[in-house]
Amino acid sequence: MQRSVSHATFVIERAYKATPAKVFAAFADPKSKAQWFVGPDNWEKSDHKLDFRVGGKESVSGGPPGGVVHYYNATIWDIVEGERIITSYEMHLNKTRISVSVGTTEIKSSGAGSKLIYTEQGAFLDGYDDAGERERGTQELFNQLERHLAR
Amino acid sequence: MTNTNHGTFFIERRYDASPQRVFAAWSDADSKRAWHVEGKGWELHSYELDFREGGRESGSFRFLDGVKVFGEETTFSNETIYDEIIPNERLIFTYSMSRNGKRFSVSLATVEFKGDGAGTRLMFTEHAAFFEGADGLQMREQGWQELLGKLDAFLAKSA
Repeated sequence: MQRSVSHATFVIERAYKATPAKVFAAFADPKSKAQWFVGPDNWEKSDHKLDFRVGGKESVSGGPPGGVVHYYNATIWDIVEGERIITSYEMHLNKTRISVSVGTTEIKSSGAGSKLIYTEQGAFLDGYDDAGERERGTQELFNQLERHLAR
Repeated sequence: MTNTNHGTFFIERRYDASPQRVFAAWSDADSKRAWHVEGKGWELHSYELDFREGGRESGSFRFLDGVKVFGEETTFSNETIYDEIIPNERLIFTYSMSRNGKRFSVSLATVEFKGDGAGTRLMFTEHAAFFEGADGLQMREQGWQELLGKLDAFLAKSA
């Protein structure tokens, strides 16, 4: 098999009306995160697991009924309460590893709300995925986070 | 108040050794220790390598010039998790570095090994997040340039 690695970085900035403490809690509290960190509504999903501490793991999987299963497996590397979370994660499609990334989530106070800055630095493997597609998927997750915070 | 910077660097080197031999210098604990861990100016406290996907590597080193450079006794430590191992072809690992117990960077490193005539072309890419108390991109790249140079010397010696 011809191996290849495509390296890329993307940054997403979002403004939320919720306070930094509330936005941080949506990442730190397993029950909250399970509500917004999910695939499309029509997907079959596994339980979301999150052990929110440095060295802890997070995992979830899902996919269209009868289709390819997307696996997300993460390790938490750094936590600054209310301000920063750094994780590394890998994605598999069925048994194939398609990427390994480091994601930095920074939360800053902005007026009455928050600014979220997410930086992903990734190695996209063997032509299965690319940064553009990953960025679109991540934008959709942050839309779901916005709806979660508004509820 | 946190302060986080992101950067990427890329190093390419050619070795006069087969991909199998270059890869073995990363996978075998004694070899890795010889070129990657032992070094002038450092006193090794501990080193462990569990070379398998999901396995860990950790090291802790006293920097002998700590008082001179940082104004205090200084110990650096690192924690690595191996994300992907494809023997003789590719290695992906994530690692963090700490100084006196305070974490200052998290990185993702990819090492690609390609046959090049009788030798090997090695491509090293690091994505890093540097934060409070960090060395920064330039020093990190310089550190890896030195390590990959030591790998060359190690391969020549053990040929």
